[in-house]
Amino acid sequence: MAETHEAKHGVPSDMEQIPVVWRYELLRYLRSWRLYASFAVVALVMVLLYLLPPLLGESYSGTDTGTEIWVTPMDPSAVPAGPYAVYATGTINRSQIDVDSVVLYKDGVEYPSAGTWTLNEVSFGSASVYTILVLENVTGSEITATYEWYISPESFETLFLNFASFLVIICATFFGADAIVGEFQNRTGYLVFPNPMKRAVLFIGKFLASLTAGMIVLTIFYVALAVLSLFSARGIDDDFLLSFVYSVEFLVAAMAVAYLISSLLKGSTGATVLTFFLFIMIMPIVDSVGMFAGVKIEGSLTFSSGALIYVLSDPYPSDTSQDMGPMGSLDVYYPDPVLAHVVMLAYALASLGLGMYLFRRRQLAG
Amino acid sequence: MIELQKLNKSFGPIKAVDDLDLRVTRGTTVGFLGPNGAGKTTTIKILTDLISATSGHALLSGVDVVSDPKAALSHVGAVVETPEFYPYLTPVETLSYLGRVRGMPAAEIDRRTNEVLAQIKMEQWRTTRIGKFSKGMKQRLAIGQALLHEPDILILDEPTSGLDPRGMVEVREIIKQLKKDHYTIFMSSHLLNEVEETCDRVALIDHGKLLVYDDIDTLAKLTKTTKLEVVGSSAIAAPLVERISKMPGVVHAENATDRSLVVTYEGPEESRADLLRSIQSLGVNVVSFSSVGLPLEMMYMDLVKESR
Repeated sequence: MAETHEAKHGVPSDMEQIPVVWRYELLRYLRSWRLYASFAVVALVMVLLYLLPPLLGESYSGTDTGTEIWVTPMDPSAVPAGPYAVYATGTINRSQIDVDSVVLYKDGVEYPSAGTWTLNEVSFGSASVYTILVLENVTGSEITATYEWYISPESFETLFLNFASFLVIICATFFGADAIVGEFQNRTGYLVFPNPMKRAVLFIGKFLASLTAGMIVLTIFYVALAVLSLFSARGIDDDFLLSFVYSVEFLVAAMAVAYLISSLLKGSTGATVLTFFLFIMIMPIVDSVGMFAGVKIEGSLTFSSGALIYVLSDPYPSDTSQDMGPMGSLDVYYPDPVLAHVVMLAYALASLGLGMYLFRRRQLAG
Repeated sequence: MIELQKLNKSFGPIKAVDDLDLRVTRGTTVGFLGPNGAGKTTTIKILTDLISATSGHALLSGVDVVSDPKAALSHVGAVVETPEFYPYLTPVETLSYLGRVRGMPAAEIDRRTNEVLAQIKMEQWRTTRIGKFSKGMKQRLAIGQALLHEPDILILDEPTSGLDPRGMVEVREIIKQLKKDHYTIFMSSHLLNEVEETCDRVALIDHGKLLVYDDIDTLAKLTKTTKLEVVGSSAIAAPLVERISKMPGVVHAENATDRSLVVTYEGPEESRADLLRSIQSLGVNVVSFSSVGLPLEMMYMDLVKESR
């Protein structure tokens, strides 16, 4: 009987309703082609990036045989090496080598290391410099070396991380661009809005679900990259996790912007197209124009997202300006690693706040 | 239970709802009528927080939906227009979602899901994704989700829209059963026979203003005109129709077929016998003399005509 229904159960609090919305919205992505299309894109790109360089002659590892080592004679009294004196130095020009595999040859004959030379590895983050210290006079002799080398984790991962920004943009477009506008255009709002649930709760629950879907894709990408890096570069860059943090921050900010666009526009197609081209074309064009004009646009979201790649570099790159003569100068800017966090957080908060405001005010008329 | 106080809604210069006052008491079923563009759906959308009011109040169980929609909608079930469902969910999942949003315990959701799906005759589709459903199936499910939490108030906007005749009958039976269970039902419809069959009272609006709000029986008695069908044993010629149209109380008369005519008559029920005798006195051999059309329809046409 209707009279007995009251007070049967209380309406949950806003905080209790958010996980409910999240759960059922997440099903939308787990059951959609979009998630699987994202997986397919990740797989395709990883396969291409992994296979193409070796196919084009740039292997990730190999063995250098008979490589000539240019030795520089030294004053042995000036460079002591423990109990020995250094007569000459040479460098192996590979970012990573298997130290145990190094074999030197003097005038074509194997040159044993005992008391004659040592190999010094000086590490800068994940990169290393390999210096050979020759402990006897080899003037007039040809020194060659055979060794196994492999790409550094930094170089290997940087190659793949150029795709991470694009992946974030795909996730924001697939999982965020039509999330709000769809409620109006597809008329599902008629089902959901007349329930005792604030629009803000629906907005946050949906946003978290979109974010979760994006996180799944992004995490798979990073985990796959870590496995490949362990296999091909025999390690993971020290700043790899920090790069992941930057990627997640970029995902949050890009998703928030997508939700803002979705709250603003009237059609799903328009919101999807605008979100994609905003990140893939409009913002990067602004960044490029700023660089061309000698203006560092620190407040650009796509510019700041570059930190997810540059953070792997040791040391972190600094802005450069190259004189181009009558053409002026060529400026290359890099996002400040701390400011990048702030910019992405600011985009996320501002876009979410404005998007939520627009969603709450939007009416299901017509 | 439902109370509209000086409710206004404007879309630019157009006043869709104009100072609307209405009170639906607990346990009554009210039909909300009006021509297209009268403001019915706009009023229902304000009541269900789909759009905001320009001014005024819309109270549900004493709580203003304008200022506190979450509390106001906590004991309301609504079907507005033909809602779309999330195509990736099944009916069971959809009902579970909405039940959890309303704070129903899991066991109660299960129990009510089974009951509601049986009530709307959709048990066999319980685990099929809604994306494959027809409009009629979605409409039935829309009614089901409105009933899930056994609300005190049901707000239904054209609940039989999109249904085939059998579906319409089934939904009306559901509404009649809910009425017996003393639900408070506020229902808009274009189908006057549906309203007459299911509702206790009728509110008629046009141009956003309330024209009349009373019991159906009372309104039927107030209806000024009646349509009467007169069937003769042979053709009723045009001159005869012309003479009938000039008889006392006759507003209009015209041939429906060669042998029949429809007379729009204004007068008390007792005077219809005089009309019949007058027609027979013209030499028409009357084989059938009966009223056609619903009293509510007559009332509707009268009031809407007057308001325009």
